[in-house]
Amino acid sequence: MTRYATAKLASYAGISAVGLLTALVTARPELVAVTAPFLLALGAGLALATPPRLSVEVTLDAPRALEGDEVGARVTLSSTTPVDRLDIYVRLPDGVTLADGRNPVALHLAAGQERELELTLLAQRWGGHVIGPTYLRARDPLGLLTWETTAETRPELRTYPREDVLQRVLQAADTQVFAGNEVARTKGEGIEFADIRPWGAGDALKRVNWRASARRGDLWVNESHPERNTDVILFVDSFAEARLGAEGTLDLAARATSALADAYVRRRDRVGLIAFGGILRWLVPGTGLVQLYRIVDSLLDTQIVLSYYWKEIDVIPRRTLPPNALVLALSPLLDPRSVGALIDLRARGHDLAVIDVSPVPFTKRPASGLDSIAYDIWTLRRDALRHRLRSTGVAVVEWDNQLPLQAVLEEVRAFRRYARHARG
Amino acid sequence: MLTLGGACVYAASTAGRFAPIAIVTGALAVGLLALGLVLRWPSMIPWTIILAGAGYLTAREGKDLVDGWAVVEGVALLLAAELASWSIEHDARIRTEPALAVRRALTLTALCLGALLVNVMLLGTAGVAASAGVLVAAVGVAAAVTAVAVVLRLVRA
Repeated sequence: MTRYATAKLASYAGISAVGLLTALVTARPELVAVTAPFLLALGAGLALATPPRLSVEVTLDAPRALEGDEVGARVTLSSTTPVDRLDIYVRLPDGVTLADGRNPVALHLAAGQERELELTLLAQRWGGHVIGPTYLRARDPLGLLTWETTAETRPELRTYPREDVLQRVLQAADTQVFAGNEVARTKGEGIEFADIRPWGAGDALKRVNWRASARRGDLWVNESHPERNTDVILFVDSFAEARLGAEGTLDLAARATSALADAYVRRRDRVGLIAFGGILRWLVPGTGLVQLYRIVDSLLDTQIVLSYYWKEIDVIPRRTLPPNALVLALSPLLDPRSVGALIDLRARGHDLAVIDVSPVPFTKRPASGLDSIAYDIWTLRRDALRHRLRSTGVAVVEWDNQLPLQAVLEEVRAFRRYARHARG
Repeated sequence: MLTLGGACVYAASTAGRFAPIAIVTGALAVGLLALGLVLRWPSMIPWTIILAGAGYLTAREGKDLVDGWAVVEGVALLLAAELASWSIEHDARIRTEPALAVRRALTLTALCLGALLVNVMLLGTAGVAASAGVLVAAVGVAAAVTAVAVVLRLVRA
């Protein structure tokens, strides 16, 4: 613990010295009587001051929570020496607030006593939040000396984003080879009827279409579409975000990514993640609940990191972007690097859809003057950028925070159907 | 402020012809304390005490008799300094347990009673007639220096 002398100690020492010397010079015993209480306070205070031997532990009732959940935290204090006054302050990170309890708090600790402070924390925003440090300041009975330290335990509260439940998600243009819930365009073993064809050696008897065979006088068999899975890559742009108060575009993107990952994993699709930004993170596609947790955990560590390094999609490992995968990008389209990467992905033939997490609701249009004109030009340039992406065949839909994600997905689906029809 | 004001009023009331000086120093001391409390400057406290002490010294100028009320004057100045420190240290954001405030009040009361007792003994000793001289003055200086040295030693410990 680091010890500090308070201003009071210096003051009382100064008053005592001045008073005693003046009493000697002026030969007035009354001045000794005026000074003596300060000297007594100094002597008694310093004699009673014992360096505290504290142990502090901060624990959480649950290390994981959903946005909006309340989590209990416990600060356990014990001391082998008496502490007349102990100030404790648990620093809470952005995104976690105090719902109930006392923080900061001042209390007394007797020698050998153990005390427990209970706090209720409200996880307001998704992310990995480190609780602490916990600052402690002990004082002697007369407040002449203070000792300060910080607790070593800093538990982490992982707050998962609250997600929408999606009824329907975007389908990839092409399926993969593993079994899944998506009806493939190809023909093979499956449930969905596709076509009929003449019987061939090796065809099972159960596949013979007797009605068609009777009509044509030859054996014909049914063909079906197999049920296959798809690969979906969720591409989160973390180069830049627009933020207004507690909400920002990255928050919306993280919640949407979490909801999409959940929906695709439930369909037995393989889902991967690319967080493309100042720090590049990726997860190769995988299936199952474990993959869902991996994605959400990886999302928690995604944050905006300022970087001037020009990144292109070459930095993304090849395995992360398998052929025929649907790349679903969530981007505020604020950084030219992420826009360039999206256009590059499309140019390399990837099936790409972009949800433009609009930064416009998180900005305020200036009332008048050049600023308002600049603002209008900025929104027009955003429209032009979306048009440019659409002209390359990318489905782009602007998502402001008022619309539910399902509605945005339906809009993307409608665009893709129209675009496919136009191509065909 | 009331305690300091009381100590200054007492000094001014016993100052005789030096009453204007005692009043001015007392008023300055109370004003400085008010400023320190408003601006939360703990460094103002020693200056207010020194000013109040100077006012009391002025009031005792020309008087041969030892003032018995100096016992209370010293304790009042200590009480004023302690209460002012308490006010400045108080932070509304820190939720203090009620028992802690009671404990501090009891400590302060004990300190003031102890100081009162020490002062009574000191002035009692001063009342004993003894011949003055260089030797006694030297012992006094040595005692003062020792007291300050002990305090400094305790600070370093």
